[in-house]
Amino acid sequence: MRKVSTWELLFVPLFFLLIVYPIAAIVGNVTVEGMERTFADPIFWDAVKNTLITAFFAALLGVLLALGFGYFYIFHPGTLVYKIADFMNDFPIALPHTVAGLALLLAFGRKMFWFAGPTGLAFTLLAVALAMFFVSYPLAARTIAASADEIDMDLIAVARTLGDSPANAYRRVVIPVLGEAIFSAYVLSFARSLSEFAAVIMFGGNVPGMTQVLASYVFSKVEEGEIGMAVTASAFCILLSLLLVLTLRLRGKYYARNKGCI
Amino acid sequence: MLEIRDVYKSFGKQKVLNGVSLKVSPGELQVLIGLNGSGKTTLLKILTGLLEPDKGKVQIGGRDVTQLPPEERYIGYVPQHTALFSHLTVKENILYSLHHGRGSEETFHHMVDLLALEPYLGRKPGELSGGYRSRVALARALTSTPKAMLLDEPITEVDRAKKEHILPLFRSVLVEMNIPVLYITHDPWEAEQIGTSFSIMKDGNVTRINSPAEAFAIVREQALCDGE
Repeated sequence: MRKVSTWELLFVPLFFLLIVYPIAAIVGNVTVEGMERTFADPIFWDAVKNTLITAFFAALLGVLLALGFGYFYIFHPGTLVYKIADFMNDFPIALPHTVAGLALLLAFGRKMFWFAGPTGLAFTLLAVALAMFFVSYPLAARTIAASADEIDMDLIAVARTLGDSPANAYRRVVIPVLGEAIFSAYVLSFARSLSEFAAVIMFGGNVPGMTQVLASYVFSKVEEGEIGMAVTASAFCILLSLLLVLTLRLRGKYYARNKGCI
Repeated sequence: MLEIRDVYKSFGKQKVLNGVSLKVSPGELQVLIGLNGSGKTTLLKILTGLLEPDKGKVQIGGRDVTQLPPEERYIGYVPQHTALFSHLTVKENILYSLHHGRGSEETFHHMVDLLALEPYLGRKPGELSGGYRSRVALARALTSTPKAMLLDEPITEVDRAKKEHILPLFRSVLVEMNIPVLYITHDPWEAEQIGTSFSIMKDGNVTRINSPAEAFAIVREQALCDGE
């Protein structure tokens, strides 16, 4: 019989107790009544719509900025801009997200644009998207940088001898080669955006039907004592997250298989 | 003419190139035998424009290109592992430089004929053998109508039997272009097959030699001195 190591004895029960069990607790507490009431609530569907729209744009902005960082990573790694950007990439991870939300509120929550009112961008869907972006961008930047690190620099050298400027070589060679990493960066940013709560509440607010997202909907329902609805909305979030993780895994397998054929 | 004059390059206190000078005439196929750690990679980067020398000049086609970026040098480059663009087809790879108005459809067809690439134009590089990948890399560089060519061990992925077929083909194509060609290799047999002149790079310097055999005598001598 195989000898069970201490690490296995430690890992298996703790993993199931602390990770799997809480998720199962949500799923196990979903009731038909809770589902009926939640799915009949137009505010819930507004929160779903708001979440998907803002996370879509937050992830898009995150990937665009991450590609900009990737450009510096490849072509200007010795510059001060790169060094600051590299350092700041880890900053939002270490920062409490309430602080991130307050920072955004102080920066953009005042009359500074002609189209914005006295509270600036705060408490709008744009604010929600910016808060999501702020906390999800580092994931995108790290994913792009990790893949850029593996690029054969001769590809860029050849492209440049064939007439490409650094920007052209980046657009015509590096970005297509980074295709898989860009997809992963987008999905990870999207997933991170879906789960953001603190920064969103601070900068975007929690106005039902306007700036409320799924995470804040769950919070509101718990506050109102509507546990059945909170549980249903949470289970919906779990389903969305599972779909994202599954997409990432299946895409990864498909890519590995196709790459293997070559 | 491809000319490097008194090029120096150091990284911190480490001197990598110690006054390298080298001349390759149009139609000449000079094989540079680079020993490990001799500064070959640094020289390549300086030639392609990816690195600036501390001192010295690089001239291509009579023009001083020392301060110019790679895209303004008009130098064709075939690296060790061909560096084909995997997301593009063979045809798109070869026509890559046309985007910048370099080369023409006519040159493209000529290269495709010379290197027998017609049946593979619609394929992706990953579907080709090492030998055909090298042919595509050569066709891509030559279609851009460069003023000089730089080949860095371009057929390392090819086995000996296929090399016997590819090397004369590469030689005839390169000689036909009538431009200076610098070809880097470690293999004396390969050097003999392709070169019209030879030089050796050692301790940050390049010296002209008469034959690849001479280069490898130097290599053996150094190995003995190093006690290997």
